[in-house]
Amino acid sequence: MRYGDFYALDHINLDIPRGSWTCLVGPNGAGKTTLLKTLLGNKAYDGSIAIDGIEAYKKLRNVAFVPQRPEIPVGMDVSEYVMLGRARLDGWGRESRTSRQMVHQMLEKMHLSGMRHQLVAALSGGEMQRVLIARALVQEPELLILDEPTSALDLHHQIATLDHIESLQKSGATIVSTMHDITLGAMYAERIIIMQKGRVLLDGPSDSVIHSPELKRAFDDRISIHTLDNGRPVIIATRNS
Amino acid sequence: MSQEINRIWHWRITAGAALLLFFVMLLGVSFGPIPLDFFQIVRTILGLDGGLQDEERILFLQLRLPRVALAALVGAALATSGAVYQTVFRNPLADPYLLGAAAGAGLGATLALTRGNQSFYAALPLFAFVGAVLAVLATFLISGKSSANPATLLLSGIAIGSFATAFQTYLQQRKSEVLRPVYSWILGQLTVADWQVIKWAGFYIVVALFILIRMSRLLDGLLLSDEEAFSLGISPNKIRIIAIAAATLATATAVSASGLIGFVGIVVPHLVRGLTKRATNRALLTVALSGAAFLVLADLGARTLLSPAELPIGVITAFVGAPFLLFVLRAKRVLN
Repeated sequence: MRYGDFYALDHINLDIPRGSWTCLVGPNGAGKTTLLKTLLGNKAYDGSIAIDGIEAYKKLRNVAFVPQRPEIPVGMDVSEYVMLGRARLDGWGRESRTSRQMVHQMLEKMHLSGMRHQLVAALSGGEMQRVLIARALVQEPELLILDEPTSALDLHHQIATLDHIESLQKSGATIVSTMHDITLGAMYAERIIIMQKGRVLLDGPSDSVIHSPELKRAFDDRISIHTLDNGRPVIIATRNS
Repeated sequence: MSQEINRIWHWRITAGAALLLFFVMLLGVSFGPIPLDFFQIVRTILGLDGGLQDEERILFLQLRLPRVALAALVGAALATSGAVYQTVFRNPLADPYLLGAAAGAGLGATLALTRGNQSFYAALPLFAFVGAVLAVLATFLISGKSSANPATLLLSGIAIGSFATAFQTYLQQRKSEVLRPVYSWILGQLTVADWQVIKWAGFYIVVALFILIRMSRLLDGLLLSDEEAFSLGISPNKIRIIAIAAATLATATAVSASGLIGFVGIVVPHLVRGLTKRATNRALLTVALSGAAFLVLADLGARTLLSPAELPIGVITAFVGAPFLLFVLRAKRVLN
């Protein structure tokens, strides 16, 4: 993927196993979002980017995408918006009773029932993010791609949302997400990929990646890693001294 | 509390719009300097005994009916393409006139009129049509690779529109005797309606609307970002191109049959969305039917308000449309 002289993705080789949760971390501009969009399958790339051994562009998957900055449709309310997630399964322009029940349940689960008749354009950032995730979950995707799914959420909703995503993973879906909060990412994802300048710096199990010198290098040594008493790693930003 | 969400769209809304159109058309054919009887009209249409006779029959079949039919066709075309443009450009204020289609048609018509030759008058619709299509094409070519970017396309459309309008004004000033016919054409008129016009305009408009309504289900995907739409299983660029082509065909035909009739493309889609509280393009058939009803009603106003004189129909739609547009703008500001 090339923008002028700048490669957003520089010949990446990657295979994401089915049913796994992979988290992409790295500084802004590392190419995380570009890699996510490539996984959708409508972008050309060089190298090999595969899911369960099949190249991203080769297979039309039922993939749900939660963008960081979605296009907000004018005049559409929450239930209509979440219903779009069923379009692929019902056929566009149709709506089965199952879908309407499912959307109803999902709205309750995501604490959105009260605002189902509100226009999506009028939602706050956090509400919109939950609506987006609700739409992705009713899609019953085999691959769920999330770009910063928790950045606008309060702590309570962060955990609640990630738990919902994890239960989708347990039912067999593959999850790929970016997360600025690496501590949180390591709690859920079993695999972390560190990216820098369009390349994969390190790719491995969350525990080993998080304690690796590469992680510090990717962030110019401006982070420090601590371990809590229960063995859980915590990553915090440090000021240059 | 129910255990499922409400239907996104119900066919009853569409049926209601069809019924509305039927009654408005009945009103349209019966009102005028010589009022015609409702029941006789219905009997005439159904071919039953006791229908209209003699002059009334001719008045109905050769004057009123074609005019109302043309108004309905043009109204449906403008409203539907308005709704489609608004979806494709993700711009609630997009309008058939936005891509320069109307200005291009205006320039084409002016070219036909300034030739002065009677034979060019007859070719006016053709000129207008070619003008509209060329303007839209130019808009696309100028925005080039970024034509998928709504903002670029809109700005190109505005530039092309301004250029065409400027050129049209230049032609008019050079030949001032065409000012009157050009302006009366620009303000829109359905007085030319006869079955010949309806035949060719009807053909293109029905084809274009058929395509748009057939694909209306997929158009909802264009309300999202391209990546989201793709992940939901549609190819946004393909749909975008077909939708713009069909909507432009409908607009160009409408403009060349009846001149420039503004605001229908904005007022009707917003009205339908506002009343149904739904943004889905499944409303497209309803938008078409409502647009037809709106313009038949506007034409009725144009014929009767200053009777026996006639107001240009564009004046009526602007009277209604301009305040409505301001209302929409204010509502949006409150919203954001």
